[in-house]
Amino acid sequence: MKRSLHEPGLALHVEDLTVTYRDRPALWDIDLNIPPGVMAAIVGPNGAGKSTLLKSVLGLLRPNAGHIRLFGQPYAEQRRRVGYVPQRSSVDWDFPTTALDTVTMGLYGQLGWFRRPGRAERARAVEALTLVGMQDLAARQISELSGGQQQRVFIARALVQEADIYFLDEPLAGVDAITERTIVDILKSLRDRGKTVIVVHHDLQTVRTYFDWLVLLNVRIVAQGPVTSVYTADNLRRTYGGQAVLIDETARIAAATDPVSGPEMAAAADEARQ
Amino acid sequence: MTVFDLFGDYTIRIVAAGAALVGLISGLLGPFAVLRRQSLLGATLSHAALPGICIGFLIAGSRDLPSLMAGALATGVLAALSVIVIVRRSRLKSDAALGIVLSLFFAAGIVLLTYVAQTDNASQGGLNSFLFGQAAATLRGDLLVLGAVAMVAGVLVLLFWKEMKLVTFDPAFAASQGLPVAGIEAAMTTMIALAVVAGLQMVGVVLMVSMIVAPAVAARQWATSLAGMVAIAVLMGMAGGVIGAVLSATGRGLSTGPLIVIVLSVIVLLSLALAPRRGLLWEAVARQRRRRTVPAQQVLTTLYHLAASHGRTDYPSEQGMIDTHHRMATAGLLVGMERSGLVRRVTHAPEATPHWQLTDHGRVEAENLLRARGFPDA
Repeated sequence: MKRSLHEPGLALHVEDLTVTYRDRPALWDIDLNIPPGVMAAIVGPNGAGKSTLLKSVLGLLRPNAGHIRLFGQPYAEQRRRVGYVPQRSSVDWDFPTTALDTVTMGLYGQLGWFRRPGRAERARAVEALTLVGMQDLAARQISELSGGQQQRVFIARALVQEADIYFLDEPLAGVDAITERTIVDILKSLRDRGKTVIVVHHDLQTVRTYFDWLVLLNVRIVAQGPVTSVYTADNLRRTYGGQAVLIDETARIAAATDPVSGPEMAAAADEARQ
Repeated sequence: MTVFDLFGDYTIRIVAAGAALVGLISGLLGPFAVLRRQSLLGATLSHAALPGICIGFLIAGSRDLPSLMAGALATGVLAALSVIVIVRRSRLKSDAALGIVLSLFFAAGIVLLTYVAQTDNASQGGLNSFLFGQAAATLRGDLLVLGAVAMVAGVLVLLFWKEMKLVTFDPAFAASQGLPVAGIEAAMTTMIALAVVAGLQMVGVVLMVSMIVAPAVAARQWATSLAGMVAIAVLMGMAGGVIGAVLSATGRGLSTGPLIVIVLSVIVLLSLALAPRRGLLWEAVARQRRRRTVPAQQVLTTLYHLAASHGRTDYPSEQGMIDTHHRMATAGLLVGMERSGLVRRVTHAPEATPHWQLTDHGRVEAENLLRARGFPDA
C-alpha cells in the first residue's frame, strides 16, 4: 500500500525536526519548506547544523523528533529522485580509481545487488563528465586531480543519477575561480530545467548572485524564503550573532552594489561593531 | 639441497601451500582494511585472538584447529566491537581505543597461555607457537580449512564487489544510495577478522597484521584500480608466503612466519621506492627535472623579452648579458635548450663571444609560457 502524500507540492518539507549530537542539540525544532525549481542556499555560522540538516534529510542521521518529506514522500521512497554531493574532504582521494569510474559509482544504487556496471553505465558517466568539462580527464587517477577537478567529479557523480532534487554540501569550498564558475553554471542550468538545487554554502558575499532562495540557519531556522526578502541586515545579524566582521564586509559590498538595502546594511554593520 | 629438492619434500609442500593460501586470503581482504584506514584494527584483531585460542583449547581439550579458530574469531570480534563501543560512547579517539583494547586482550591471552601451560595437558605443547606462528605444525587438514576460508572470502568479494567498493570509498554516499552501510562494514570487518584468524597458526598473533597490511600497501603503489590493487595484493601475498616458506626450509630453525613478514616488508620497501608515478625514485627524478626546467624557462622568456625590446625576433643576445641578468652561469642551460631546438648559437661580429638567438620553436614556446603566466599580449 502506498503511503499517502504529505505536502506533495514542496520539493523539501521538514517539520519539527530536532537532532542531537550526544546531548547537545545540533538542530532544534526545524520547520523548513523549499518549493520545487529553486536554487537554495543553506547559510549559517560554523556549528549551525548545516551539514547535520543535509544528513538528516538524506537519512544518514536519525532525528530525535520530526519528519521529512521530499515531494510528499519519505526519503527512502524517493531515493531515485535525489542526487547527493558530500563534502569533498569526506573521502580519501588516494583511492585507486579513475575519474570515470568514480562517476559510475553514482549508478551503483540504481543498479541494485549483483549487477555490474556495463557499457550503458559508462556512457552515461562520460556524458556527466562532459557536462562538468572533465571528459578529457576521464582516465586520470582521482589522486592526480586538483581540488577543483575532484569537486567536479563529485558533481558529475550526482548528475549521472539524473535526479529531480540535488543536495550539495559546500561544493564551492576551496575550489579555484574557474571551477566555481563552472559549478554555479551547471547548478543554474539544472534549476532552469526545473530541478531543485539545495546547497550548503559558506560565502555570504555570493549568496545573492548565485541563489534565488535562502535558508538562514543557526541550530534553529532564523529565516527562509526568496533571497531578495530574506537577505537583510537584521536576519544576518540574528544568524551570525556577534560575528560583526562578516556582516561588516558583506554590508560594505551591499552598500556599493545595491542602493536600496545597502545603506541599511551598512548601518547594521556599524551597530554590530559597537 | 637445491630449491627444486625442497619442493619435493612433503612437509615443505604443505607449508608452502598453506603460506600461499594465507597470503591469498590476506591479499584479498587487506586492501579493504588499508583503504578504510583500519590497519590498526587488524593488529587489535590478531592480538585479541590469543585469549580466544586458549579458550578454544580449554573447551575442546585438544589442539583442534577449527575450535582454536572459532575461539580466536570470537574474542577478535569481541575486541573489535569493544573498540566501536568505546569510540562511540566515550571521548576516546579510535587510536587510543585500539591501543587499550589490544593490550588488554593480549594480556588476558598471555595469562591464559601460562595457565594452560601449567595444566599439564600433554597436547598443549605448541599453543605457545601461536605467538610467532609455527608453519611446520601445518597439517594436510589445515589446508582444507584455509582453502574453505579462501573460497568463502573470494565468493563474498565477487558477489558484493560493487557494494564493498562504494562503502570503502564513500560510506556517506553509499548510505544515501540506500546501501546498508553498517551491515556491509560489519561484514567486511568480520571477513578481515577471518583472514587474521586463518593466518594465526602460520604467522602468529604478533606479526599477523603485517600479512594483512603489507601486500595491500605495496599493491597500492602499482595499482590504478581497486580490482588491480586486490589482484596485485593477492599475488604479492602468495609470493611472500611461498618465498618465506622456502627460505625457512633452507636452514635449520629458521622461523617461517617472521621470514614471510620480512619478505613482504622487502616487497613493500621496493614498491615504495620504485613504483611508477608514486615511488620515491619517480618523485626524485621529477623533482630533478623541475629543477632544470624552471631556470631554463626563465632564460627562454628573457631571450624573448630582449628580442622584443630590440624590435627583432632574431636578436642575438650575448651570453654575458644573459648571465648578468640571471646572476648565474647559464651556458649549461642554453646548451641543453639548443639540443631541444629552442635556441641557436650565433656569433655577432665584431664580438667573438657566444650569442644566442631564439628559434621559431623557441619563440612559440616562450609565448606559450608567458600566456600561461597571465601575460596575454605575448
